[in-house]
Amino acid sequence: MNQQIRNIADLDRVIHEPGRLMIVALLFAVDRADFLYLQHETAMNKGTLSSHLSRLEEAGYIAVTKTYRGKVPQTLLCLNGTGRRAFEQYRRKLKEAL
Amino acid sequence: MDQIGNLLERPRLYCNIDGLGELGGSVMCLGFALLWWLLMRAPADSAWHQIAVFGFVGLVLLIHYGTKAIKTRMTYPRTGFVEYRKPLHTQAIAGALGALTTVGMAIVFRRHWDIPALASLAGLAFTGACGYHFARAVRWKWVTVGAMAAATFVIAFLPTDVLGALGGDSPVARPDQAKLSGTVLLSLTVYGTLLLISGGISLWLYLRHTQAPVQEIQ
Repeated sequence: MNQQIRNIADLDRVIHEPGRLMIVALLFAVDRADFLYLQHETAMNKGTLSSHLSRLEEAGYIAVTKTYRGKVPQTLLCLNGTGRRAFEQYRRKLKEAL
Repeated sequence: MDQIGNLLERPRLYCNIDGLGELGGSVMCLGFALLWWLLMRAPADSAWHQIAVFGFVGLVLLIHYGTKAIKTRMTYPRTGFVEYRKPLHTQAIAGALGALTTVGMAIVFRRHWDIPALASLAGLAFTGACGYHFARAVRWKWVTVGAMAAATFVIAFLPTDVLGALGGDSPVARPDQAKLSGTVLLSLTVYGTLLLISGGISLWLYLRHTQAPVQEIQ
């Protein structure tokens, strides 16, 4: 099989989905961010964003911390080491494929 | 790939979404201008010359913690919280070191260089930094950056006696020092005013287009 095509086939499907790609790219650039920030930047509704975050958490790419800001619940999200490596690898493979 | 690159830039641009970065810069410029003016007007034997440094440090601390407090109460509940990665601090330290090096070189080579011209160069560097941090995200802010650059050039080419008059009746005796004082004072006032206008518009637009979320008390 052509190397380029193989690179496309090897792309991480968890990250490759556009919604999750947005989330991972945004989290890659920061130490951590809250749910509201991701909702604001991605313009996704709460349900869609939650399902994408659950998928990323299942894959072991993000760490989710539930806390409070005063009396208001706050969900903090952080791309962990595995997630960072996976995103870097995804970018490299995508670059090679294109 | 470019779209991914844009996404990676988004959090950095979010830093000034509410205009607080510019307003902080404005308070810093106007505050420094005021402190500088007081320093110029104070008699040579005044204790103000010894304690002025605390005024500068106090102002920086006030801006740092004040901005943080406003963001916690206003920005984070509206559009979310972001904690930036360490490299941003590294850049700030590199910027501060660069500024200190420039000041150090200006002091060491003050006999050989045209110091007021150096002050204008520093003003251009500050304008460039404002362009990089504020205007990349919002295009109309290039107008502010352009106005800052134009003001820098106008101030640099103002006659010496006009600039010297600003520091004329101060204990600063030498004409080149009076010109430097005038350049710094005028530049800081103009930059501060422009950033105040630009930041004020950003803050107004931010408050207009975002809604404070309903508090969910548990």
